Amino acid sequence: MALTNTPRVHPGRSPKRWSPRTRRQLWTGLAFISLWICGFFLFNLYPMLASLYYSFTEYHIKQPLVWIGSLNYVNLVRDPLFWRSLYNTGYMVVIGVPLSLIVSFICALLLNIKIPGQSIYRVIYFLPSIVPVVASTLLWLWILNPNSGLLNTLLAEVGIRGPNWTRDPFWAKPSLILLGLWGVGNTIIIYLAGLQDIPQTLMEAAELDGASWWQRLWKITIPLVSPITLFNLIIGVIATFQYFAQAYVLSAGISPVGSGLGAPLNSTLFYSVYLYQQGFVYLKMGYASAQAWILFVIILICTVLLLRSSEHWTYYEGG
Amino acid sequence: MWWMVFLVFGLVLAACTPPAPTSAPGGESAAPAQATGGEEKVLRVWITWGDNPAQLQSLFNQYGEANNVRVEVNSPVEDDKVIAALSGTEPPDVLVTGGPDSVGTWARENLVTPLDDFLEGGEVDLADIFEAPLSQCLYQGKYYCLPWGTDTYALFWNKDLFEEAGLDPEQPPQTLEELAEFARKLTKVDDNGQITQVGFIPDFSWSHLGLYTVMMGGYWYSEDGTQLQLTSEPVINALKWEQQFYCDYNVDEVLRFSSSFGGYASPDNGFYAGKIAMQVEGEWQPGPNFIQKYKPELYYGVAPLPPPAAHPERAGTNLVSGTVAMIPSGVKDKEAAWKLMAWMMSPEIVAEEMVANFNLPSSKKAAEDPRFRENEKFVVFLELMGNPNARAPILTPINAEVETELGQIEEQVLHTCADPEPLLQAAQEKLQPLLDKALGN
Repeated sequence: MALTNTPRVHPGRSPKRWSPRTRRQLWTGLAFISLWICGFFLFNLYPMLASLYYSFTEYHIKQPLVWIGSLNYVNLVRDPLFWRSLYNTGYMVVIGVPLSLIVSFICALLLNIKIPGQSIYRVIYFLPSIVPVVASTLLWLWILNPNSGLLNTLLAEVGIRGPNWTRDPFWAKPSLILLGLWGVGNTIIIYLAGLQDIPQTLMEAAELDGASWWQRLWKITIPLVSPITLFNLIIGVIATFQYFAQAYVLSAGISPVGSGLGAPLNSTLFYSVYLYQQGFVYLKMGYASAQAWILFVIILICTVLLLRSSEHWTYYEGG
Repeated sequence: MWWMVFLVFGLVLAACTPPAPTSAPGGESAAPAQATGGEEKVLRVWITWGDNPAQLQSLFNQYGEANNVRVEVNSPVEDDKVIAALSGTEPPDVLVTGGPDSVGTWARENLVTPLDDFLEGGEVDLADIFEAPLSQCLYQGKYYCLPWGTDTYALFWNKDLFEEAGLDPEQPPQTLEELAEFARKLTKVDDNGQITQVGFIPDFSWSHLGLYTVMMGGYWYSEDGTQLQLTSEPVINALKWEQQFYCDYNVDEVLRFSSSFGGYASPDNGFYAGKIAMQVEGEWQPGPNFIQKYKPELYYGVAPLPPPAAHPERAGTNLVSGTVAMIPSGVKDKEAAWKLMAWMMSPEIVAEEMVANFNLPSSKKAAEDPRFRENEKFVVFLELMGNPNARAPILTPINAEVETELGQIEEQVLHTCADPEPLLQAAQEKLQPLLDKALGN
């Protein structure tokens, strides 16, 4: 415990009753993290609040600000591409995130089986996560090549003519989800840690009672890793709402020159990509700030809803 | 409730961090450190392209040595860094970008310096610069940049494939209509309906809508850059002409075929690999870094893009664009920056740099350098740039918006066989008010 003589009264309620020692420790602690606090105010909180202000203005970098009230927000609601980008991002969140959780959970289950070479398998499954996203996206562009790519060549072996993955507006998002599934190593590691936290005694007891593997999975493993699932879900949702790099590289890969953002046919115009385009290509910083704040509110609402709902489906041992 | 506060802050951070695009690490090179004492003047040059930073650095070292300053060249610089630098307080002294597309926007935003006052000093002779490239730097009656190297485009054809298809390998198509006819003869489809060779893909390697539009006799802006003419005949005709190469065949098959080509600078480039018989490409292609490097034995020809049959007078029409140099408005010592820029623009330096990179020189005197005449294919481009029918894109403050919109329309027209007219009409109604507003009308 950091505060050794914790007062009987809750410290947050009446700070005046803190003992001199507690107060000294508080100041020492604050002094130690003062650099972080300065950085936070200077580089996080200030820019954030500034962007809130900018979102109510027309702001083009060096021109004077023009206060336009909620016009940016009104224009956004009227902007079909805003809705398009929201739909594209929602698609990734609703389909991509659960899929990646399922795949990484299954991989973690497999990697948890005690077999010779277990650690080698774990390394192999984790490796894609350390490949830079640009490199892995370019690699996948090659795998997804409609005629000579690995995937369609394999599909051709079983008599299926694979789709034109990245150039077909219907398949472009699934292509990106596939790419994402390849790099779920981090999530697998977190699941693995959770799986190893499950007390062996519970498993043994269930086995003695005659529970099948399937029953143990449903009644013990999945409930016990549910806090991990919640964590991965929230992290995944937040990350996917800000999906950017892969889509950016994909667009660049489709057209060698020019931005081509959102190609093909705006099917990969994700929220952050559109925000980037408005802010850094068209220099409409006010509009982009409004977009950022709407995204923030959406992410906040989603996270709160997930946390609320989790009360019904997560299980904490001793909690 | 502390956790809520942290959650909120965490989320704010998550939502508000600007999504920096992760792109391939560019080789950033600094000048070799000179261990000279005292106050040394440093000039910084940023160039958004460059496969050969060492060559650029050594070129600028010549200026440094002659003027007792240190010139630091940063190449290639990513576009996003350029925006950050232009809006910050420490921009590079001279910025060189791959095209003038954004200069209009930057000029409106007061991010770059108008050069007219400096030009009065006479260090740079405007009469020595080719008209078309120079005109691309003019925004609202002022020069905001100067062209350094220039690009233009012509038709490349694969002579082997012409022979195979029973066409005269020395005779490129003479009209746009004939080009389409040749393309049909040069396209091969196998028994399963899959394309195995294609005659011409109008947006390979990227969109040339601007070139096709000027060939059709107009542009999407009025000459003074105040009116959009998206629904004019030339734009519609250009899109319809392009459309036939997709929609007369099978869009899905053409797309599959073209997306299976390898990298632009690789032996698997569709044209190098002999999978595509004709393409529109730039003057750098015959140079040492492209065809000579990846497919030296390629048997091909280069000719100007032919005019429509009904308008033979448009022969030699081409759209010129390319590298431009400018001085950011945040530069403190603009005199020093201008001196460096004027040196860059001198015919000898232009010649030296453009010979090294196989780009067209912007200076007429530089173009007389015999080294530019050594490659007969390069000469085709040199003459196109000087052709009276050469023109440049018009600078407006909403170029980026217009080009994005046109790119999307082009994609829809080519890849879904949509009728261009209603799409252009909608774009016109959406963008003209933007242009009016940006111009302050």
